[in-house]
Amino acid sequence: MATYILRRVAWAVVASVIVLTLTFLLLYFTPDTQLAELQFQAAQAGDDPEAIGAAYESYHGYDQPIHVQYIEYMGNMLSLDWGWSETRSQPVTTAIAEAIPYSMMYAVPSVLISSVLGVAIGLYSATNQYTRGDYAATFFAFFGLSIPDFWFGIVLFVLFSGMLGWVPIIFDTTAATFSLENLAQFILPIVVLTLSSIASLMRYSRAEALEYVEAEFVKTAKAKGVGDWRVLTRHIFRPASVPIATILVGDLLGIILVSSYLIEVVFGIPGLGTLSFEAIMNQDTSLVMGTVLLPAFLTIIGNLAQDIAYTILDPRIEYGDS
Amino acid sequence: MGMEMEMEMGIGVSPVSDQPAAARTEAPLLSVRNLTKHYPITTGLRSKEVGRVRAVDGIDFDVYPGETVGIVGESGCGKSTAASSLIRLEEPTEGTVRFDGEDITQYDQAELKAFRRRVQMIFQDPESSFDPRMSIGEAIAEPLAVQGLSDASRRREIVADLLERVGLAAGDADRYPHELSGGQKQRVGLARALSMNPDMIIADEPVSALDVSIQSEILALMTDLQETFGLSILLISHNLAVIRQICDRVAVMYLGEIVELGTASEVFTNPQHPYTRALLASIPTADPTDRGMGIELTGDVPSPSNPPTGCRFHTRCPELIQPENYEFEQSTWRRVMDLRQKLDQGTVDVDAIREGVVTERESDETPDDVSATETKARLRDEFAIPQSLDDSRAESVLDAALDELVSGNPAAARERLATEFATPCESQSPTLEDTTAGQTASCLRLENELPPTELEQTVRSD
Amino acid sequence: MAVDNEPRETFEDVDWDDIDETTRAFSRKTIVTIGAYMLFAVGLLYDYVLKPPRADTIEPLGISLQALDWLYILTLLTILVGVVVPLYENGRMTRYYWQQFRKNRAAVASLIYLGVIFLIGSIGPRFLEQPTVDPSNAYQPPVFTSAPNWLPVECAGEVAGGSCHGTWAHPFGTTHEGKDILVSVIYGMEVSMQVGLIAALITITIAAIVGVSAAYFGGWIDAALMRYVDIQITFPTFFLYLMIVYLYGGSLFSMIVIFGLLGWGGIARIVRSEALQRREEEYVLAAKNAGASGYWTMRRHLLPNVSNSVITAVTLLIPSLILFEASLAFLGLGDPTVPSWGEVIASGRSDLPNAWWVSTIPGIFLFFTILAFNFVGDALRDALDPRADGGDK
Repeated sequence: MATYILRRVAWAVVASVIVLTLTFLLLYFTPDTQLAELQFQAAQAGDDPEAIGAAYESYHGYDQPIHVQYIEYMGNMLSLDWGWSETRSQPVTTAIAEAIPYSMMYAVPSVLISSVLGVAIGLYSATNQYTRGDYAATFFAFFGLSIPDFWFGIVLFVLFSGMLGWVPIIFDTTAATFSLENLAQFILPIVVLTLSSIASLMRYSRAEALEYVEAEFVKTAKAKGVGDWRVLTRHIFRPASVPIATILVGDLLGIILVSSYLIEVVFGIPGLGTLSFEAIMNQDTSLVMGTVLLPAFLTIIGNLAQDIAYTILDPRIEYGDS
Repeated sequence: MGMEMEMEMGIGVSPVSDQPAAARTEAPLLSVRNLTKHYPITTGLRSKEVGRVRAVDGIDFDVYPGETVGIVGESGCGKSTAASSLIRLEEPTEGTVRFDGEDITQYDQAELKAFRRRVQMIFQDPESSFDPRMSIGEAIAEPLAVQGLSDASRRREIVADLLERVGLAAGDADRYPHELSGGQKQRVGLARALSMNPDMIIADEPVSALDVSIQSEILALMTDLQETFGLSILLISHNLAVIRQICDRVAVMYLGEIVELGTASEVFTNPQHPYTRALLASIPTADPTDRGMGIELTGDVPSPSNPPTGCRFHTRCPELIQPENYEFEQSTWRRVMDLRQKLDQGTVDVDAIREGVVTERESDETPDDVSATETKARLRDEFAIPQSLDDSRAESVLDAALDELVSGNPAAARERLATEFATPCESQSPTLEDTTAGQTASCLRLENELPPTELEQTVRSD
Repeated sequence: MAVDNEPRETFEDVDWDDIDETTRAFSRKTIVTIGAYMLFAVGLLYDYVLKPPRADTIEPLGISLQALDWLYILTLLTILVGVVVPLYENGRMTRYYWQQFRKNRAAVASLIYLGVIFLIGSIGPRFLEQPTVDPSNAYQPPVFTSAPNWLPVECAGEVAGGSCHGTWAHPFGTTHEGKDILVSVIYGMEVSMQVGLIAALITITIAAIVGVSAAYFGGWIDAALMRYVDIQITFPTFFLYLMIVYLYGGSLFSMIVIFGLLGWGGIARIVRSEALQRREEEYVLAAKNAGASGYWTMRRHLLPNVSNSVITAVTLLIPSLILFEASLAFLGLGDPTVPSWGEVIASGRSDLPNAWWVSTIPGIFLFFTILAFNFVGDALRDALDPRADGGDK
């Protein structure tokens, strides 16, 4: 098994390198809009666009041969020198560091709430199959899975902010992290994000728990007269928690990273998603790279952790090696 | 592990030919020489070979046109592997297989495909031998389609004809496998095999998965088809009764080797190999006057990845050759040998013996309190060895070895027993040779022309 | 059926040597299928090589086919050949599955809804013009509703009591640019269908081929393929697409292609594990015994038997693809030339309190479409692959 883990880590590293390289190549081979702009303006002003172009290139180091640029690029990436953000006039890493806390403020509670609730509802569904509660929960799951979070977000936002005024419209960054005001402005994003995460967790934990509910040893325990609650926790939850836990890391991370764009843009939260979005809109290349690469690495790491956890916790599952 | 033997004194079809093999003048249809199939055991990232499973280890036999040859043996003896290797469903590691004069191990892909038309196989498990998504008509027609008969209406006609020949209705062609019973599916299997108009059919445990009442029907169908179309049949089974019912000649396999080979009457009425005798003796009979030997083969079935030295059967053979200077009662000798084997493996747990004594006595003694004498006596009991052997010299050797064992020196005990109680069966490998009875068998007793044992004499009168 | 006086052909009558010599004839079905694909290839060739550039593909009708349209045609053709025809051929099996499926009424309703969407989305855009900007027509409310009269520039319907009432001219109202929402929704249907079906097809094709090959061949082929899948799965597809959008601009075609080419890993794993189980079945050995090649076994035995789990997995993949596309369009990162539901929702965002219909109506369609796919996928799973849900139903 140790070889498997090592191998997976190695592949994660390889994947990261590939992502970096791909990004580099994409950037290298794409015509630089800023350069084009500069040259256009130079031509308009009567200057020599060629000279301006050459100066621009040598300033940025673009006239070096590709492998030199590549090495420099990789070096920068690894040493966390991710460049300078033109639009925000600060290093990219600083901008990211400033934005992350805001993302955490809704992401962390969402993860916690949705994991607990999702698993709990799923288990309840599994142990009370075909009851009204089960159908309600399943319906709820479908609803949560299907609803487009951005749409739900804007509807809620308009409803509670615009019409009812319960929630501030403009995001206030000065509110202390653990204050009531902060809660007020974060409650909606948390609700929206939680809703979609709960749904998938719930379905999955229901399916996993069902496998155990039907299992012989549970029936034996029940026959022995073990109380329902005990059955639930010791016999169903324990073994079912293994696969559920492994799903948590990978999938939730995936959902959050992608949803962050939508949620932050809708609710005006200055987190990582907004940072990235605005960077794209404003053509701030270094910032775009930084804010896209970071989640990319997080995804890779998340998947890696998920795979490894799966293997360690449940050696029954084979994964690719036969 | 006991042997799975079921017996019905079914009303079978009597064997077709009793002619001994040597008297044949025609050429064999199938001629197998030194067929070997090993599976490598690998570990680690680079798949290094650390051992081999010797599923089939050099077997020879022939099948003549129109006859039925059976291969019988316990599960795991390699008979199914032999069958799939000989028609190259799996590639044999070594050996030649000549069919109708040509060596099929040398065939290229095209020739192999054409060869498939001449030898067809029927599989054991009716549940999994048909694709659940194909109707049985399509299943029967598949070989036809594969081999190039692209006209669907021709195929349909042929399928209809075949269905009727195996005792089903032509209209069944549209039914799906899950709608048929096990027996019906095996009939379909026969139809599928026949579709190619083969010269030979290999039946791998064709009736093992079926109800007892259906088995005879299927076997009778097979022999009918054989007569009508002049087929040869190679029948693989662990069930002696099945073999007896339809086979002309029989090969007995043990751990990848053929240990006896002859006509059915030779092998069944006068078995020459101890293994064959044990197989036959273990069959319960309906005859109340037949006391039988009640033979139970002791000892574990060895693994084909690590076969025993010398004669492979020696670890379980009831007719093991006794060591030169000693004289045992045969069954006692077998048990002493069992003890030797367990000692060699290091699985004799003296402490457990002592604990057993203490538990039984229900006293306050500890295992250490148990005397050597008692332990030794108990050991003997465990292995069903009498407290005192008839041969006094043998007795002293055994006693000395047990002393060494009980006093915590198993290596010495091993050494002593190995030197004193050595038997040729553990060091020499016998070869298949003609016997006076007519068939061929591989046993050192026969090679050395030793007198028959009790077992032999009892079974012989069957 | 054999005529009475003509003996029926038996297996003994087959002259195998003769058959070996003659070349294999193709079945009629194969010929038709190949013909259809050749027609497609010819059309593609014509559009990209032979036809003068900038001219419409089909002059008389004024229809211009883009890369995405060709891809869509290919998808529909393949669905016809790969799904509809086999369903028709295995009538009994189809009927059985349908019985199972029918038990889930929500799923049946969803299927009908999806069918309607598909039809309207395919036919509508052929006859309707793309939604056009018409500032004077902005903010018309939908029929049967009304909006305060100061909202629309000029109310198309009757005005009563300070409210402008909706008309059938714009059953779903118009956007702030005056685009008709019904037309936008219809065009959006086509977009969603394209995203869902094309990406799904690409995914199935690659996943099935990879999964079955890995399972059948084993050895280093299996190891190599699965290694690649491992890497690909860890790849953040969304962010790769984001980069591409940033650098090259949004395009529906590239979105679909990227999703399809990078999203098949999980399904390939499912296919592989199913195929591995099937490979051990005796009927695979029986096929080999009949002389079948690897290709024959894979195509006729392994593929059909894994198709159930593939179909359910893919049907559950489609809604997330559609949601993805809508989300990206909402953010403005989608294809600006394509009228997608997400885009319309975004355009009505700031007007929600007043002109609620602009965001809400496409949102409802989006929601129901995704919901429908989820219901159908769930029911399919129960019908085709009951083991996968962990518990008997």
